[in-house]
Amino acid sequence: MRTARLLKQSLRMMTRSKLRSGFMMLGSLVGVAALTLVVSVGQGANRKMLTTVRQIVGGSSILLFSRGGRLVGGPRGEASRLTLDDLAAIAKELPAVEAWDPQQGLMAPVRSAGASDTARVIGQSERWDRVWDRGVSRGELFDAAAVASSARVALIGETVVRELFGHEDPLGAEILVGSVRCRVIGILEPFGTDAHGMDRDDEVVVPISTAMRRLMNVDTIQTAKLLVSDPARIAETTREVRRILRERHGLAPGQPDDFVIRSSLQAQAMVGKVQRVLFLFLPLVAGVLLLGGSAVAASLMLSSVNERVGEIGLRRAVGARPEDIQLQFLLETAVTALGGGVLGLLVGCGAAQMVARKLALGDVFSWNAIFLGLAAAAATGLLAGVVPARRAARLQPADALR
Amino acid sequence: MIELREIGKTYTRPGSDAVRALDGVSLQIDRGEFVAIVGASGSGKSTLMNVLGLLDRPSEGRYLLDGRDVADLGVNELAGLRNQRIGFVFQAFHLLPRTSALENVELPLLYSDRASIKGLGRRALEAVGLADRIEHRPSELSGGQQQRVAIARALVNEPDLLLADEPTGNLDARTAGEIMAIFKTLHQAGRTLVLITHDAALAAHCDRIVHLDQGRITARKEAS
Repeated sequence: MRTARLLKQSLRMMTRSKLRSGFMMLGSLVGVAALTLVVSVGQGANRKMLTTVRQIVGGSSILLFSRGGRLVGGPRGEASRLTLDDLAAIAKELPAVEAWDPQQGLMAPVRSAGASDTARVIGQSERWDRVWDRGVSRGELFDAAAVASSARVALIGETVVRELFGHEDPLGAEILVGSVRCRVIGILEPFGTDAHGMDRDDEVVVPISTAMRRLMNVDTIQTAKLLVSDPARIAETTREVRRILRERHGLAPGQPDDFVIRSSLQAQAMVGKVQRVLFLFLPLVAGVLLLGGSAVAASLMLSSVNERVGEIGLRRAVGARPEDIQLQFLLETAVTALGGGVLGLLVGCGAAQMVARKLALGDVFSWNAIFLGLAAAAATGLLAGVVPARRAARLQPADALR
Repeated sequence: MIELREIGKTYTRPGSDAVRALDGVSLQIDRGEFVAIVGASGSGKSTLMNVLGLLDRPSEGRYLLDGRDVADLGVNELAGLRNQRIGFVFQAFHLLPRTSALENVELPLLYSDRASIKGLGRRALEAVGLADRIEHRPSELSGGQQQRVAIARALVNEPDLLLADEPTGNLDARTAGEIMAIFKTLHQAGRTLVLITHDAALAAHCDRIVHLDQGRITARKEAS
């Protein structure tokens, strides 16, 4: 009863000094908002990066590029000598390579009855869904027979669907890919933009043989991805792949590679570096802001205690115990810190949403950020409240009334 | 009710000599008395009030309240005694700003163990003639009204002892007279009052006058 009365009165008193309460809230607001923003965006960015990295290099894999070539699109490298036979030989010699998928493609016009679009057309094997970890959301994939017979079938991305068909059903429709008539048999799983900002839904996937013979008339491939069964053997397998390719391409010692080889180990090292920034450096900055906020709140609270010495003395004179005084000041900081913290959460989440939209990070709502933010608010209150409250409680009533 | 035996109080401040504020003060105050403690500034009368009001502990001597030595009591017990047994009226009123008269009066009730405090504050304000000023803030009240709010606050827990430290020091003569009239009424109703003042004319209203000079009692006399 007594405590309830005291708490209620303390809250009422706080509403009467709105300016002071407001400034104290600002301290935890800034810190918590910064922390929430950094944690939300950090997690979103991390998720995005891991997804992207997984889609490119998979769990444990090796990527091969013909010299000067890119992952997809772009001009063919002059010295491109990577062939399907190279890959078949590698797979045969190295049992650690459990699956592989070649890629050859170009930017090409894609047309339907009434509309056209310029899309990235990529030839791949029947194993691409497994190797690249992407499938179809509707329809079906092409099989080994389709690859063997250079079948005129295509899988198209959502952007292509929108450009060519609008709201009509594209499955089973005929489209012109370059000058080759293909039947749409599947819709690619939505992907969004990739690490380079390219729209990966503006793609058409056809059998590799269809791309090489019918579309481009080439006998080399641009890219290949090899899945390695044992993550521990990536480095060793990478060396072996290089050796086999150099042998098959007849490269003398000292001559540079005519291909580029990248393993998921390198990607993981890069991921580690980015994660250090996301989860160490940025939260550190936020932590400093939080400490700054605490310091502001604490100094305001201390000056509030100094300013209210007379009030404290009077309260002691009419019967307040030291712990009552302490409770009052702790409550004031707790309420302002948590109030500011909740506002800070809103501000931080809002800012995170804005940043996420700018950077296309997808949904960045994070319970971690909420909990961390609230914990930070509580910490601010504790840091800012305990010392002033103790000082207030220790004041001697006779001194405080002077 | 109150018995002080050879009370001494010495303040030591770093960097300066010790100040002897009270020196061997012995004083007895019985229930229902109206006592004035008179002295010039620096005579130790405020220190004596702090000791009497359990706001400060004496350096030496014994203070018996109802026969009990207050030196044996802990901080919380002293707070409880101040809350239940003693009411304070200060020269500077010490009202909480931006807070209604009623809430100011209710402050001691907050710290009491009462289950319900409803209506007590209003009744105390009525007793000092401020029934129509309940929701006014201190800044909206005159000095005399503010001091009446402070008196209502001192009385709200029905204490035995009322300690007033220069209660009229900030008021004009007419208002001071009103405040003294309230004290007289309270005295007639049987309360124990201790008035601390430098003003001999004010002290003349009391039953008994104790003169304090440089921390010592120099004269006691019964008023006529």
